[in-house]
Parts: sequence; structure tokens; C-alpha cells
Amino acid sequence: MTATTTATERPGPSGGGARQRRLRAITPTQVARKLLTALGTLAFVVVINFFLFRVIPGDPAKAFSPRGRNADPERLAQLRRDLGLGLPWHEQFWSYLKSLVRGNLGESWGQHRPVTAVVAGYIWPTVLLSGTALVLAAGIGMWLGSRSGWRHGTRFDKLASSSAVTLYSVPEWLLGLVLMVALSGTGLFPVEGGMVDPRSTLPGFLDVAWHMVLPCFCLSVVYIAEYSLIMRSSMLDERYADYLTTARAKGLRDETVMRRHALPNALLPFTTLFFLSMGFVVSGAITVETVFSWPGLGRLTYDALRGPDIPLLQGLFLIFSAAVIVMNLFADLLYPFIDPRVRRS
Amino acid sequence: MSRTPVTDGTGLTDQSASRRESRVPSLRRRLAAAAALLVAALTALAVPAPAAAEDATPTAPTKVTFVLGIKQDIDSFNPYVGVVASAYEAYQLMYDYLINSSDKDFSPVPGLAESWEASADGKTWTYHIRKGVKWSDGVDLTAKDVVYSFQRAIDGETENGQYGNYVTLVTKVSAPDDNTVVIETSEPSPSMLRLLVPILPEHTWKDVDAKEVATFANTDKPVGSGPFSLVEVQKNQFYRFVANKSYWGGAPKIDELVIRIFADDEALGQALRNGSVDMIQDVSAAVFESLQGAPGITTSDSKYSGFNELAYNLGAQTVENKPIGDGHPALKDKRVRLAIDTAIDRKTLVDKVLRNHGTAATGVIPPIYPNWHWTPGDAARTFDLAKANQMLEDAGYKKGADGIRVGPDGRKLEFRLFGRESSETSKDNVAYIADWLNQVGMKATVSIMSEDQLTAVIGEGKYDMFEWGWVVEPDPDFQLSVFTCDQRSYEDSGEIAAGWSDSFYCDASYDALYKQQKTLLDPAARTAIIKQAQQKLYDEAVYSMLFYYNNFEAYRSDKFTGFTPQPSDGGSLVFQYGVYTYLNVHPVSATSAEKSSNTLWLVIGVAAGVVVLGGILAGVLLLRRRTTADERE
Repeated sequence: MTATTTATERPGPSGGGARQRRLRAITPTQVARKLLTALGTLAFVVVINFFLFRVIPGDPAKAFSPRGRNADPERLAQLRRDLGLGLPWHEQFWSYLKSLVRGNLGESWGQHRPVTAVVAGYIWPTVLLSGTALVLAAGIGMWLGSRSGWRHGTRFDKLASSSAVTLYSVPEWLLGLVLMVALSGTGLFPVEGGMVDPRSTLPGFLDVAWHMVLPCFCLSVVYIAEYSLIMRSSMLDERYADYLTTARAKGLRDETVMRRHALPNALLPFTTLFFLSMGFVVSGAITVETVFSWPGLGRLTYDALRGPDIPLLQGLFLIFSAAVIVMNLFADLLYPFIDPRVRRS
Repeated sequence: MSRTPVTDGTGLTDQSASRRESRVPSLRRRLAAAAALLVAALTALAVPAPAAAEDATPTAPTKVTFVLGIKQDIDSFNPYVGVVASAYEAYQLMYDYLINSSDKDFSPVPGLAESWEASADGKTWTYHIRKGVKWSDGVDLTAKDVVYSFQRAIDGETENGQYGNYVTLVTKVSAPDDNTVVIETSEPSPSMLRLLVPILPEHTWKDVDAKEVATFANTDKPVGSGPFSLVEVQKNQFYRFVANKSYWGGAPKIDELVIRIFADDEALGQALRNGSVDMIQDVSAAVFESLQGAPGITTSDSKYSGFNELAYNLGAQTVENKPIGDGHPALKDKRVRLAIDTAIDRKTLVDKVLRNHGTAATGVIPPIYPNWHWTPGDAARTFDLAKANQMLEDAGYKKGADGIRVGPDGRKLEFRLFGRESSETSKDNVAYIADWLNQVGMKATVSIMSEDQLTAVIGEGKYDMFEWGWVVEPDPDFQLSVFTCDQRSYEDSGEIAAGWSDSFYCDASYDALYKQQKTLLDPAARTAIIKQAQQKLYDEAVYSMLFYYNNFEAYRSDKFTGFTPQPSDGGSLVFQYGVYTYLNVHPVSATSAEKSSNTLWLVIGVAAGVVVLGGILAGVLLLRRRTTADERE
């Protein structure tokens, strides 16, 4: 980045001015526009979600009865009435919308319970596992990436970035299986997976934490690689910026120059990535949750796909999409506070 | 989570950077604190009611817990809606049935009914209910509860969908007194000895109405009379049952039974190895073989009640004899089916597909039911490609220029052969069969499809051959009914609805045999007819029976003993028609070495956790110190 572009991006001549600007970093009109865009996207997803699952061939009513063969026509007709399958599509869509607004996502075929109740039982384990992995990975990735970017070309950098590239390309589930086999017999961690041990004598949360170590490790390792690579590249961009020369000229320690001056500016792409991944926290990690028998949404999706449990899949897709949309909206609203250039445009 | 390409960095001015300077550390601290709080809060949320869990498990040192690891989650504890095998296993643990099946050979033995008798015409059955049986909440179990349960299975829409086939013949259920139940039927039926309708308590279930029953979970301390009661539910994790020490059939020898759910075969094997489960069931052949010879572990290649077959379209018709579908006409010719059957090498299928965990099949009732199983003995057809070729030649199916045989009607012997997507066994089977058909001058085009799709095409008769299987109940009635004329598809308001028949076999003399066995209450006379029916199916090659497969089970024989197979001769240890292993299993020695090395490592694990936490704490403190140092600068 050249000196001229940095100069034009000065927020304001005086500190007071900048302060005022920051308060008005985002106008109500802008907020409204962003909200509308998000709502529009959500509406689009709802429509797609409705039609996607209706173009799947086959008779959903027949999928109800085990092995489909003893389906008594009277019962089938009743089921079709209950599912509203005989109605024209616009009426089906209308009733789908009405129940959505009431928070009703239908009834799971596989678990014989409302989809919302099923999802509620699986969401916290996923948020716990993916959320912890994300926070850990972001923290460690930031530290590793900024240091290897700052000390570009050193042995630390070479080691950190080459291992990051390697880990970035390792499938999480494979890592999980390898760990499982490698650690079996040592008894260090519960290699058989699960979230709690029915025979455990530990207090509940410690048992959960103990079971979380391996799946969390598998997930974070890959994300650490991702975050540290991003961090490193943006740090490299900042390294020779003029303001850093100024900071050094002021006599600040190298460590301070990096942490206080270079890092905040290099953090922007990292923040984008962080918020993007936050949206994907709820969809969890299908493969890791399956390998480690973790009772989260990822494994629920895997089970629902095998059925297939259409109402449950439909509900899950909607929730996953909504999470991404909401997190993107959140990031959109936050940017102007982090990056002055976004404020201006 | 997504993977995003590495994007370009951006720079702020030194001025804005220095302005932020004072904010950054405190923001970071707040973020760290918030993250820590978040993790703590989520951990608390993710562990539903740890207090309740501790209630259920008072840490008495002598308590014996037996843990069974399975892969199939229990879909519902409500016996009117659950469909998977593991759910039925749970119902057996929680509830009683009128008549049970013996562990020796599945013969009827007293259940909740300690005796029973049929009227001379075989249409009125009287069951004498045990006295003094109590529900788990202390209320007396009476004949009224039995009548209630049957009436619900007859009247309720959801309930009838589940247990309808046991009550189709029932015309009236009544309780003349508290210990007698009388069931009247429209015709005599041996199925009255196998009424697998769970007996539920009227005083709690009367509150679950017809609408609610379809989504009722039945997990809140359900009241039952079975040998175990459900006390803890951790969906897709584990289910804890406590023993009913006053069970009428004798107290179970363990205090607690835990059924733990795994998502992965490999994990299931590891769990048995490291002792976190005591028994596993239904694993893959690879995992099973890796456990053979492992210390402390006994593997059991148990006989199972299932078989796989190659089924033919024998000319699809509705029950009104109206032709439907587009089956290849040559398959109506018994000689063609017999030739195909002769071209199938069952030994290779058992060796290669089952890796020797099974046996070649003949009669449709598997040998696990020795009383009913029929075998052709020396008359069995053997694999012989040359003979198969000769049979087709003799029947007038001559080879054309392209090497494919042509029938007298001028149609080539080109068949569609369907296999099932969900089963590796099925895919392997059809690949072998297609190859053998090739070698006798036929062409098989293999398609792999979902079971749902296959069900649909079978019902409509739009197939030539497919590979599938059946799991056979202890009473042969249902399995034999599958081949009767009445089970063909039928037409209802212009739509084809499938029956149970997947061959469209329809033969008056077979139907007569089927009807006759239904009315014979004398076991020996009935057995003779049932064997005749199986022989007829074999002689006409209605199915080409492929193999009877085994069920893989493995357990910690160093910790537990008392595993009880059903039937006694090499049968399954769990997922039986009964709960014999759960009743009899007990620790090897009185001073159970149950919690062996696990506890030690648990302590080490906790210690490691403390060290990590300490490290994080130290890190945070260090950061703070540095921050203040920076500020001083």
C-alpha cells in the first residue's frame, strides 16, 4: 500500500472530528437498507427451501410407512390430507408461510416430534463445540499468523506457514480417525467419542470438556491454519507501511509497533473471515460430529439425510441459511466501526 | 464452516492507530472475558440438568452398570410410533407382553399371562393374567390394562398403524375379572400365541389422546411393568434404565442398563476395547474381525433370522388379475428361473460377500427356527453353469448372433437387475449375479436405487429382478403370507397400492397350504404343512434364495458373564424376542473389577485439564502485565 492512498484515508484533521464521525459511523438509512437486504435474502431462501424439497421425486406419504409396502390407501389418503399434498402449490406455500411465522417447522418423520423441538435438543452441543473451536482457532491463528508475517522469512515463519499449509489440506474427519486409533489404548482421552460418559463419576461439565478435547482439536487445527494464513498475508502487506516507520522512529519497541500499530490494521480481513465462520457455527462440522458421535446439528443432518427425513432437512436448511444471513448482517453493521473507509462509501 | 481465500490487507493511518492504542488492550481483555463466559455458559446449557442425572445415579460403590453400545438411535420411546429395531428393544425392557418366546427355541412361554387356552373352534382365547404384578409407580396391573392396550391397538389410527397386524382378526377383547382376558377372533390363528402388543398402564396413557399420541415422547419417567425402567434420556448419546428389582420374572442381576449410541463403527470397536462399553452389536465385518482375539473380548458370530434373495417378476397382476407393470415375460417360465438359480454360486457369495459370516439359503424360514425350517437335503440345486446353459438350450432359448439367448417369442433374455443403494452386500450380490447371468447367455443391466424407490417399482410391477431380504418373525405365518395371491398389488381409486408380495406369485395350491397352516393349532401338523409350503416355493424358484446372514456381537467376557443366546444353539445375545441377556448378565466376580484403568486415566485427564486451564490463566495474567508495561512506556 502506498503512502498516497494511506494519506487520503485519514479520517479527519482533528481528533474531535474523528470522534463525531465515529458516532455517526452508520446512518439509520444505511442500517435500514442492510436490514432490508438481509430480509430479502431470507425470503429468497424460504422460497428456494420450499420448492427445493417439493421437486424431489417420490411420494412423501409413502415414505411414512416402514418399507412402504403395507400402506393402506385410506391411511395414505389421510396422510396426504394431513401433509396438505393434494392442495395446489400456492395454497401449500401459503400454509407453509403461515406455519413458519408461527415458528412451526413441521414434524420430523424420523423422530416423531416437532422439528423445532428436535433441533433445540441438538443445537447447544454444536454451538459449544464449533464455537469453542472457532474462538480457539481465531486466537491461536491470530497469534501465529501475525508473528510469522511480522518476522517474515525467519525459521518461525517457515515452520509456522509450512505446517499451516499442510494442516489446511488435512480433512478433519481423517485427522479424527487417526487420533482415535493412535490414542486408543492410552486412555488419555475418550477416543470412542460422545459428549458424556454414562459411567462417569465426574461433574457434568468436566466430563463434557474432557470429551470435547479431541473433536475440538480436530476442528481447530484446520481453522488455525486458515486464520494464520490470512493473518500472515495481511501482516505482510502492513509490514513496510509508512506509519510503522513513524512508530519505530518514535522509539517504540518492535513488539509494541506490531501489536498496537500493525495488528489492528491487519485485522480487517481476519474479522471478515471470523464473522463468516460464525454463521457456519450452527451447521457444525458434519464429519467431525459423526466420527466422534457428537450429538450436534451436524450429526442430526447426517441422520436426516440417511432417512431422508424431509421436514427435518427442510428445517435445518432454513436454520443454517438464517444463521449465515444474520451473521453477515452483523458483520455488515460492524464494519463501519472497524474500518473508516467503509463509512465513507 | 467455509474456507475463504486469503484476501488483501488494508492499512489505517498511524494517527487512527495511535488513537485506538489505549482502547485495544481493554477491549481485548473484555473480549477474552466474554469468550470465557460464553464457553462456560454454553457448557452449562449443553449439559441438560446435571442435577437430574446425579439424582438418578447415587454413587453407591456396589452398583453394577452394564453398557451396551449400538449404532441405531432409538427414534421414540412411545411404543405407538417408534419404528427402528432399537426402539422395540427398549419397549421390551420397559413393558410386558401376554406371551413371551422361549430362549431355547422361540416356543411360546408365559409372559404377563401365566396360562392360556383356546376354545374348541380356535376362535375364543382366554388368558390368565398374573396376580400381584405392579406398575413401576405402585399401581396394580390388571386385566383392564390389557384390554385397554388391545382396544387402543384396534381403535387408534396411530396405534393401529403400529400393531394392526396382530389385531386384524380380533373381534372383541374383554376382561370378565381382574385376572382374565378373553379375546375373540373371526377365524382361528396361531398368531394369538405371539401377540407382540405391549401392555401399557391405562392410568397414565388415558391422558395421551388420539392426536397427541403421534408426537408423544414418553420420556418423562414412563410407567411400565417390564424388567427395567427408563430414568435418563440423553438424546443420541445414551439412555439409562434401572432394574425393576420386583420384576415378576425375577430381578435382573445388574442394577443399571445403559444403551449408548455411536455414530461410527470404528468408534464402537474402540469403545469395547477401552472398556467404556461392555457389549456391542451389529458392527461391520471389518470391525468384528479386528476384535477377534482381542484380550478380554469374546466375539459371537450369532445366527440371525434374516435372509437375502434374488426375486423375480412372475407376471405382475393386481388381486383382480389385471396385468400391471412391464416385467420380462420369460421370467414367468419356471425353466428360465430354475436355470438362473442353477447359475448362482451361493458358496462364492457366502465366501466373498459375507466373508464367511453366514450360510447358503434354501427355505424361506431360516434355520434359526429349527421347528419350521425346511431344507431340500440331497435334492438341493447346485451351482453348475454348463447345466444351466443346457437347461436353457432344452427349453428353446437359443443363442443369437450376439451371444444373447432369444426366447421362442423372439424376445432376447435381457433383464433389468435392481440392487439397493443403502447396502454394500446388495451391490456386491447383484454384481456377481449379473456376471453369472452373462455366462449363461443372458444380459443383466444393473441399476442401484434407494429402498424407497425400489419399493415403488416393485409395487407397480416395473421390474424384472431385484436383490433384497427379509427378517423373519418367530411365527412363520407372515413370511408365508407374502407369497399368497391376496398380497399382490391392488387398485384403489385409479391408483396402484402395493401389498406385501414382491414376486406376484399366485398359486391356488400354495394358498390352500397357507390357509391350512393358519388353522392347525397342533404344532407337529402345522410344521408338516409349513415345510410343504417352503418346498413348493423352492421347487418353483419363486425366489432364488441367496444366504442366511449372521449377526455380529462382541462383549467383555473379562467383566461380565451370563450372556444368554436365543435360540440356545448359537443365536443372538441381544435384540432377541425377549430380554434374556439383560436379565441374566452379571459381573464375572463379586468384587467387580469394573472400574479398572479408566479411573486412573480419568484422573490424569483431569490433571491435564487443570494444567491447561492454569496455563491459560497464566497467559492472561502475563498479557495484562505486559499491557500495563506498554502503557507505562
